Amino acid sequence: MAAVLDIKNMSKSFDGIVVADNVDLTLHAGRVVGLIGPNGAGKTSLFNLVCGVVKPDAGTVLLNGARLDGLKFHQRVRSGLSRTWQHVRLFPSLPVIDNLLIGTHSYPGERLFNVLFGPARLKAFDDAAREKGKDILAKIGLSKVANDLVSDLPYGQQKLIGVARALMGDAKCLLLDEPMAGVEGQAYQAMQRVVREVAESGVAVCVVEHNISFVRDLCDEGVFMFAGAIMARGAVADLIRDPQLTELYFGH
Amino acid sequence: MEYLYSVIILVGLYVILATSFNLIIGYGGLVSIAHPVFFALGAYASAILSRDFHVPVLLAMLAGFFVALVASIALALPSLRVSGDYLMIASIGFQLGLLELIKNVRFTGGSGGFSNIPPFLIREFGRESYVLLVLAVMLAVILLVWWISRSDYGRAMSAMRDDELAFSSMGRDAMWMKIAIFALGSGIAGLAGGLYAHYFRFITPEQFEILQSAAILTMVVVGGMRTTWGPVIGALLLQALPQAISFLALPPSILGPIQGLLFTGLVLVFMFFRPQGLVPANDIWRAPSAKPAEPR
Repeated sequence: MAAVLDIKNMSKSFDGIVVADNVDLTLHAGRVVGLIGPNGAGKTSLFNLVCGVVKPDAGTVLLNGARLDGLKFHQRVRSGLSRTWQHVRLFPSLPVIDNLLIGTHSYPGERLFNVLFGPARLKAFDDAAREKGKDILAKIGLSKVANDLVSDLPYGQQKLIGVARALMGDAKCLLLDEPMAGVEGQAYQAMQRVVREVAESGVAVCVVEHNISFVRDLCDEGVFMFAGAIMARGAVADLIRDPQLTELYFGH
Repeated sequence: MEYLYSVIILVGLYVILATSFNLIIGYGGLVSIAHPVFFALGAYASAILSRDFHVPVLLAMLAGFFVALVASIALALPSLRVSGDYLMIASIGFQLGLLELIKNVRFTGGSGGFSNIPPFLIREFGRESYVLLVLAVMLAVILLVWWISRSDYGRAMSAMRDDELAFSSMGRDAMWMKIAIFALGSGIAGLAGGLYAHYFRFITPEQFEILQSAAILTMVVVGGMRTTWGPVIGALLLQALPQAISFLALPPSILGPIQGLLFTGLVLVFMFFRPQGLVPANDIWRAPSAKPAEPR
């Protein structure tokens, strides 16, 4: 089992509030890790630290053995990291398929030079990326909304599209921030299926989620965080049964 | 006829300025007021190079493009590293500072202005040829911005404007994209400056002051941001109006303030009654086949 993402001794505090307290976490190819814990435990903050959105006070992140520390967010993404957002953050002025196109690993259209002098290359890229986008949309059962503006879609579908968009870039490690919040019905099943398929294809997945049944059904391992520190790790079912953790989760 | 040519050339140049500024503020979402300064940089660079260093006019104009482009990168690089808000603040300082510099150094002619700029085309082919040159450049700039806005680059600009953090999370480099947009738009303003200088053959620093910033901004906002024809119509309208007013035989002491009032007044009126401008932006990324989704 190959280690894909390696978080070592990660620490961060904001004005004395500790969001990461010497966190060590390794994600492996093909495995889904569920990050659970009460609000404010530092789960999303850990994602932000890994992505470089927030600079750590101490600690290091390695992706396939290479240090990410000096890199900016977009550079980390290009080296194989991908994440979604709790509040989706799609591009509302773009249709679904165009939201996906932006997320391709390389996007030649982001260079003015290519736009002005390499239209043939852009066309080839566009066609290939569109095909890939349509495949992913078909997998999550949203082919029929490919040309709709994302702002016209119900929230559950937007969440799925957020995951679909994160899959466009051939990520080696996928961080999902509350993929199930606000998702119900058909989208719930689709989300579970997609995440499982992604993991089976060899991607290391980490899910922050409050929906415990989703975590239990999906994750190979659970990690319990509290006050920025990892309190326990192991099978999700065991974590749920632990009375100490339950008390931390629900308070007194 | 000469008057008519001057008006056409001015309108053409302002269409270029408004269209390039639309690229920056509309498509790029970058707020800057310094567009007239890049116009000035192009004009001065081209004028100085051709008059005092005997550089052929065409090359001097191209140099004006590059001087404005490089200066805009120098302005954007430090401020965009921090955040977009700093660009606006820095642009105000840049505009005030650079114009003050132009007024106070000798090789620009100081506040008295720079005169005897070598003419271009007019002696050999008549004024009509210059009109055609300006209109050709104007068309090329309109086409260029139209092409960019509908290309993969345009899609990326839309995404970046929508949500910069999400844009970065897709592996896209927002900072360099902004710098590229700002540099291209500013370079085009510099080219317009060169075109201005070699027709009117006299430039002064006060032509490029804050009233010009307001004028160009008004053209884009009133015409319609993020549209191809909005800035064109805005520039036509706002160049025609002052010309029309100047026929009213008002004393110059009233004429100047009236123009300023016109620009700010128009922005206020449009803000309340037609915020989308004369030409409303449509969803260019919505596929023509897709009907607006019904509420689900």
